[in-house]
Amino acid sequence: MAATTAAAHQQPVHGPALTFPRPIFAAVAPHPFLQAHLSASQPSKAPLRANSRTAHEFRRVGINTGSLTHCNGSAVVRLGNTSAVCGVRAEILHEEHVQGTADFAPSTGNEAEEDLEREREREEIESLRVLVPNVELSTGSTPQHIPGNAPSSFAQTLITRVRSLLLSTSLVRLSDLRILYTPPSNPDDPDAEPEPQLKGYWVLYIDIFYISIDGNAFDAAWIAILAALKNSVIPHAFWDEDLETILCSDDPSEAHPLTLRGLPVPSTFAVFEGKRDWNESGEDEEADWVLSDPDAFEESVCRESVCVVVDCTGGNKGTKDGILKRLEKSGGGVVDRDVMKGLVKRAVDRWQEVETATNAKP
Amino acid sequence: MAANTDRRRINAPSGGTSAPVFAKPVKEPGYLQLLRPNRNRGPNELRKTFLQTGVVPSASGSAYLEVPTTTTTSHSSLIPPTSSLKIAASIQGPKPLPRSAPFSPTLVLTTTVKFAPFATRHRRGYIRDSAERDLGVHLETALRGVIIGERWPKSGLEVVITILEGDEDTWWGDSKAEGGSGSGWGLLNVLAGCITVASAAIMDAGIDCVDMVAGGVAAMTRDGQKILDPCPAEHQDIVAACAVGFLASRDEITELWLKGEVGAEPDELIESATHAAMGSVSVLREVLLENIETKTKVASEGSKRRLEDLEVRD
Repeated sequence: MAATTAAAHQQPVHGPALTFPRPIFAAVAPHPFLQAHLSASQPSKAPLRANSRTAHEFRRVGINTGSLTHCNGSAVVRLGNTSAVCGVRAEILHEEHVQGTADFAPSTGNEAEEDLEREREREEIESLRVLVPNVELSTGSTPQHIPGNAPSSFAQTLITRVRSLLLSTSLVRLSDLRILYTPPSNPDDPDAEPEPQLKGYWVLYIDIFYISIDGNAFDAAWIAILAALKNSVIPHAFWDEDLETILCSDDPSEAHPLTLRGLPVPSTFAVFEGKRDWNESGEDEEADWVLSDPDAFEESVCRESVCVVVDCTGGNKGTKDGILKRLEKSGGGVVDRDVMKGLVKRAVDRWQEVETATNAKP
Repeated sequence: MAANTDRRRINAPSGGTSAPVFAKPVKEPGYLQLLRPNRNRGPNELRKTFLQTGVVPSASGSAYLEVPTTTTTSHSSLIPPTSSLKIAASIQGPKPLPRSAPFSPTLVLTTTVKFAPFATRHRRGYIRDSAERDLGVHLETALRGVIIGERWPKSGLEVVITILEGDEDTWWGDSKAEGGSGSGWGLLNVLAGCITVASAAIMDAGIDCVDMVAGGVAAMTRDGQKILDPCPAEHQDIVAACAVGFLASRDEITELWLKGEVGAEPDELIESATHAAMGSVSVLREVLLENIETKTKVASEGSKRRLEDLEVRD
């Protein structure tokens, strides 16, 4: 950590060099500030960012689950100064209120048809809208999001990304959300086996409230959702013939947890493009840095960002063969195929960290 | 539902959903009463309060308040017996008013109170409803009396309160039977919590105040007994309740909200509420001391770090 001085690129002054305190340097010239940090360290040490992390270092994940009373599952996730609360609440969508056709086909359990089944299920979840994620940023979490306004485009983008990842990874199984009823006898044919009827669905309202945002809101939201869904308990629901409605049992031993498909973990990277002509000595080779888990200050000076979602639960050899679930990249052309390979490796390492944190019991 | 037409959020199924109905309370009449929570504190005993400042580093001041429930959560039922109180406050500003705003010789205070959708037993909407706006106005009244606004002309201050979990108006079993939530005793508790947590956040932001304002609630039961810091779910016979914003060292009240049939002697109930506020004052004092200690520590460490940083690279 060195050279918090702006004198280096100002005109030469006589006498004492012109210096600024750190926060003022960062506010006046954010780009040179980060550049000075990343390029100033001794060659023996890895360059440190302004938040004294190395370029490849993620923030530690802190997860606390089950703290909210009125939720089926909840989690508070901290990534450094970013903290988010996620509450999962299950409500019932009655069969007569389902829009469109709700044809229910029991699972065949066939291995070959599993992919097809999954795809059909994904479409059904999307059309039924049984997963309702929403984010709230206007909680004073950042100076940019003041309450009283409609959700900003940032909030809308964020929630659309979260929803599309929820759907594309098929994280939640529809079989966990169906409420079935098997009548004592088959009405069409008294001798045949009674067939289960669909009576309704559980709708999961997944609400994310940010307490504080310091960059990388997406990773925090997603890890909070993962932890809250893992923590969720859905009461046993059954069709009551006398009252002709769906009732639930309040016995915890009859309730079931959600069985999630895998554990997709996102890793967000920001690309910091160093100023090439600024270094007079002409060191050009280390001009760009790909920073893991950027904070708010770094996000403000980086244009290009990459989000890699990997899932290593299906792999047989530990974390070595992960499945790439999603790749999002925007804003520039620094990350090419080779750099991307490195980023996927970094994302796999990150998966291990997050997996340990989500499985740890509070 | 109005939320169905919201194009900026992800909407619920348009058919609407309903909260789960549990079978046992419906089918077995005696079972419901078994779940009823009871107050296991003395009438003058307050609930424990957890208060912390500096939870939002990007805000100029912030605080988090938690009043945990005193009834032990039973492991035999999924229905939570009572609610706890969890409130986060964040202060943005003081910052200059926009050019379009009319001239103001004092600080312009804006308070926003919002319940999270999962804050109460019934799911809340995303857009602020009338109860939340009402709370915001009450909180503004409480804070306006302590902040020395003349020191910030042409400036604005945003106080944003997020209620992650709020106290209930009555016990859920009773509200079902009556068919409405009605009374609004829970809002008084929420208001008192909001006042205390906002006061801590303002203190964290270092905004000049005449004193620390603290919230307190007292209630009166049918037989005339006064209870401090009531948890409405634990009482069946509250007839009146009162929340105050109290300045302890000046012995002043900046905000008073009294509800119900108080009878001929309202002063006693208000007096009890100020006693409850004294409990919050002692918590606030401790937090203030802690806050100053950490701030001076950070400042001395920061200056040390700045010296190290000053190697000039030429």
